[in-house]
Amino acid sequence: MRDAYQEQLDELAEGLAGMCEQVAEALQKATRALLEQDLQLAEEVISEDVRIDDVRDAAEARAFALLALQAPVATDLRIVVSAIHGAGDIERMGDLALHVAQAARRRHPNPVLPTEIAPYFAEMGKVGVALARKAADVIRTRDLASAAELESDDDAMDDLHRHMFSVLMGPGWTHGVAPAVDVTLLARFYERYADHAVAVARRIVYVVTGRMPGPLAV
Amino acid sequence: MPPAPLPTQLDQLCAQLGTMCDTVSTALRRASVALLENRERLATQVICDYRGVQAMRAEAEELATDALLFHQPVAGDLRAVVSAIRTAGDIERMGGLARHIAKVVVRGRPLPAEVRPDLARMGDVAVDLGRKAAEVVRTRNVLLALELDRDDDDMDELHVRLFEVLMDPGWQHGVPAAVDVTLLGRFYERFADHAVTVAHATVYAVTGREPDTIPI
Repeated sequence: MRDAYQEQLDELAEGLAGMCEQVAEALQKATRALLEQDLQLAEEVISEDVRIDDVRDAAEARAFALLALQAPVATDLRIVVSAIHGAGDIERMGDLALHVAQAARRRHPNPVLPTEIAPYFAEMGKVGVALARKAADVIRTRDLASAAELESDDDAMDDLHRHMFSVLMGPGWTHGVAPAVDVTLLARFYERYADHAVAVARRIVYVVTGRMPGPLAV
Repeated sequence: MPPAPLPTQLDQLCAQLGTMCDTVSTALRRASVALLENRERLATQVICDYRGVQAMRAEAEELATDALLFHQPVAGDLRAVVSAIRTAGDIERMGGLARHIAKVVVRGRPLPAEVRPDLARMGDVAVDLGRKAAEVVRTRNVLLALELDRDDDDMDELHVRLFEVLMDPGWQHGVPAAVDVTLLGRFYERFADHAVTVAHATVYAVTGREPDTIPI
């Protein structure tokens, strides 16, 4: 009985880790669609988002069954509660990747991003994807050192974000208001994506240590 | 001391979430006043008060975890507890968005006159949504929860209009102001979305179904 229970907990964690990998892939594709005006790729991300939502529902149903049938205590209860939060965060990451893809589709065949801004987004995409993959690892290994790493990776995202804004607000910006509005929102999507990945890692820290790390600086 | 009975704990949890929802609605109102009247000190206060929201969320989660731990609720009660855990997160985020608006005020760029009425209206709609969500959480009134969807449509319309103003070739205020207004619009819209989510979660907790499938 106990083993079946352990198995259920492992499945729950594996489900979430898999979800992280899915949203990592979604952001990778969405970023490419954005940078290369690849409409087909954008459409792919948009249609796959429904699948991520389904996976979230499945994860939540699993958490629910665990709570109802096994009445976990202590660390196990923390795992289940964290899984409920984690599933919400990861689904939101999927939504944000979807928003990026939608922006690429809306402006197709024109590029959304002015040329000098594109490299920032390539970099933000890279950082975001890496964060989601690391979050998957942290869920699987519960390694506190890797969980802490996500925080410094997130700092890199914040730096990129800030720097990009200084370009946008600077006197060298010649593209007018409309692209600035697009860029502002897109940058925000990447930043939020990273924040959610960090939140997932923080929940794992909580599972392992019983304490949440300090408040999330968002 | 023995733990309180489950119904008492559930009542406490609802009360806590209701208070939290009112708190973040007040924060948003104050942030909006600060924005429209350019009151930096008020904005700073909103930013500081966010800590209180985070503490309230932790408290709500502790209440929920205690309920799970001591009573092992099933069926409807379990749904209520799980939905409370999620809801606490949404409400905390609403507080975070009020803080973001306050931060724009502190940055101190003047707000262009032609976006003021729409932003003021967005603030009103958002605060109203927050207050209604508080009421739904406290009373578990499913019909009121459905009303929030309509209000959210108003918000979406205002948001679209705000973008039209921004994208108009006659926009005279340059890129920095446009960036501020873009973000402000997004913050109000997200606040409203979370309020709707809070109400939906409550419907789910009461009926076990997402609102769309309720045949009314």
